[in-house]
Amino acid sequence: MSDIELQNISKSYGDLQAVDDVTLSVRDGELLCLLGPSGCGKSTTMRMISGLETPTSGEVYLGGENVTDQAAYDRDTSMVFQNWALFPYKTVLENVAFGLKMRGDGADERSRRARDMLERVHMDGYEEHSTTDLSGGQKQRVALARSLAVDPDVLLLDEPLSNLDKRLREEMEIELKDIHQEFDKTFVYVTHNQDEAFTLADRIGIMNDGRLVQVGEPTEVYRNPTNRFVEEFLGDTNFVAGEVADVDDRYASLSTDFSETIRIPAFEPVEPGASFTISLRPEFMSIQRATGADSPAETTARADGTGGDTIGGTVENTIYRGSRIRYVVDVGGEDLFVEQSVADQVGIQEGEAVELGWNTDDLLMFHPDGSRVGAE
Amino acid sequence: MSVQTPDSVLDRLWSPFETQSGSRRSLFLMSPLILFELLIFVVPFAMLVRISLSEQSQSLPYAEGTFTIASYIEVLQSGFLQGIIVYSFRLGIIATVLAVVLATFYAYATWRADGLLKSALLFSVVLPLLTTLVIKTYAWVPLLAPNGTANNLLLAVGLLSAPVQVVPNTLGVVIGQVYIVFPYAMLAIYSVLSTVEWELVEAARDLGAGRARSFVEVVLPEIIPGITVATIISFAWSVGAYSAPALLGAGSDRPFALEIQEQMLLNFNWPIATALSTIMLVLMFVSIVLIYVVLGRFGGDVSNAA
Repeated sequence: MSDIELQNISKSYGDLQAVDDVTLSVRDGELLCLLGPSGCGKSTTMRMISGLETPTSGEVYLGGENVTDQAAYDRDTSMVFQNWALFPYKTVLENVAFGLKMRGDGADERSRRARDMLERVHMDGYEEHSTTDLSGGQKQRVALARSLAVDPDVLLLDEPLSNLDKRLREEMEIELKDIHQEFDKTFVYVTHNQDEAFTLADRIGIMNDGRLVQVGEPTEVYRNPTNRFVEEFLGDTNFVAGEVADVDDRYASLSTDFSETIRIPAFEPVEPGASFTISLRPEFMSIQRATGADSPAETTARADGTGGDTIGGTVENTIYRGSRIRYVVDVGGEDLFVEQSVADQVGIQEGEAVELGWNTDDLLMFHPDGSRVGAE
Repeated sequence: MSVQTPDSVLDRLWSPFETQSGSRRSLFLMSPLILFELLIFVVPFAMLVRISLSEQSQSLPYAEGTFTIASYIEVLQSGFLQGIIVYSFRLGIIATVLAVVLATFYAYATWRADGLLKSALLFSVVLPLLTTLVIKTYAWVPLLAPNGTANNLLLAVGLLSAPVQVVPNTLGVVIGQVYIVFPYAMLAIYSVLSTVEWELVEAARDLGAGRARSFVEVVLPEIIPGITVATIISFAWSVGAYSAPALLGAGSDRPFALEIQEQMLLNFNWPIATALSTIMLVLMFVSIVLIYVVLGRFGGDVSNAA
């Protein structure tokens, strides 16, 4: 049993509230990513699981046992540090064997097991090397082997890949996923990188300002963000603020800051005069050249009667981002961006009049306080 | 640079330097230092060695123009002077071990402290350096004397039934000497310790090492260079201790510095004083090489015991 239960844990340093009343359960054998911007308390939360920090209040359970007051060296967790924290005066093999030595295993036993682990992370042949000679990726593998060698119930990874270049990081992501499946341990993985979280996680816990904002499977949190922070953090999007003008039975119209009206679904709290922010995700929007019927200056959003909505604008900028092109479109003085796969592009140039289209039912709406309209 | 055809012995000796134009430049840059060392250390030391090889004289400090090793033989055969050498080294070893151990703890505490406490710990180490050695050494007398503050306090509380003679006594000398070298030892260790990443200790603890074990396994190998410097400073200074034994010691507390002073200034026996100095210098040199080699084994390189 190696599930983790955090019950109302908080951690403060003087006036600074690093972690604020976090309750979270990590299932046995699960890979949970704690995702959030730097300073959001995700690392502190993980350090409280490892025992390197003691919560100011709240309790930590590992496998049903209350370990809140147990020191790090008594807990059956092992941590992979962001800067790897390899012991510089020890060889690669000694580093990997360290935990086993502390546990009191015999020299032969720990050497054998350390060699196995190094082989598992493809670092065999480096046993007698000094850790200072290794590249970042190699250090990462050694740190991983060192943590896995003690066969911990829970493996904690603190932004382990953030110091690696993109290609290596993606390679290691796949490898970590393999290792997670092979060793069948509970992993808690801290990162600020959304792609990493989406690639690796069974579930994602999103943190902001010391609080746990949302926990769920990757598709769930992406499709159903509970508030504006999550929506903003998980991917680039266009936020448009406005006030409800009028409401009919299915849709309402929102008059926006850039003197456009956009059709929105008429949920319960939607009534004239209420303020909302809507998220126009680039992947929900299509872009095409403006049809000749409208003059380029005509930018009123129009409903086509099927739930679709379009808005006219002028392309201000096109940015090539490898396999995708991002168009920055000026709509009545406000910039919106939309992306298209390079394969689908039709050669829209800067300065051209375009139409952006989307389905009204895809819109995500947020109250002025950031909470989602119609969530839960 | 083209290949040279050396035509004289001098050219051949010089050629290794020629191939690296940088070494000539560094020699030039080092010349003030070399000159300084020559004038301040090498020349006077050569004079000192020369005097130690002169005959002793009744009317003069030494007999000029004579040559003998009699003074060396005398120093090595005299039980009294051997006792002085042994005393010096014993004081050196005891004071060094105490100072380095205390300094390591203190440096560790300073490293782990933060904010005001860290500043206070650092400041209180540096503060004694602002006072002259004699005054701060003398300050121990009213504190540790049989009718001094410490004894009076302990007697009043009832922890002592009779005053303890700490000063003037060997214990007082050790306390005074540790006090003198402690700031230097602490700063030498702290300067290295402050560059160690705390994360390494966390990693060790996370892997099951307790507090003491994580210090020995992870911190100690890293701070060996600092400990080596602290040991050498403390040892060299304590073997050559002068003010602590002079001010806090009893009559039997005679390290070689006091003896040399007496031979030089009271007995006007310069050959004995200089011969004793030279012997101590050689012994010190050997000791420091030994310290360096022994401590160097514990850190600075990767060992092979997995």
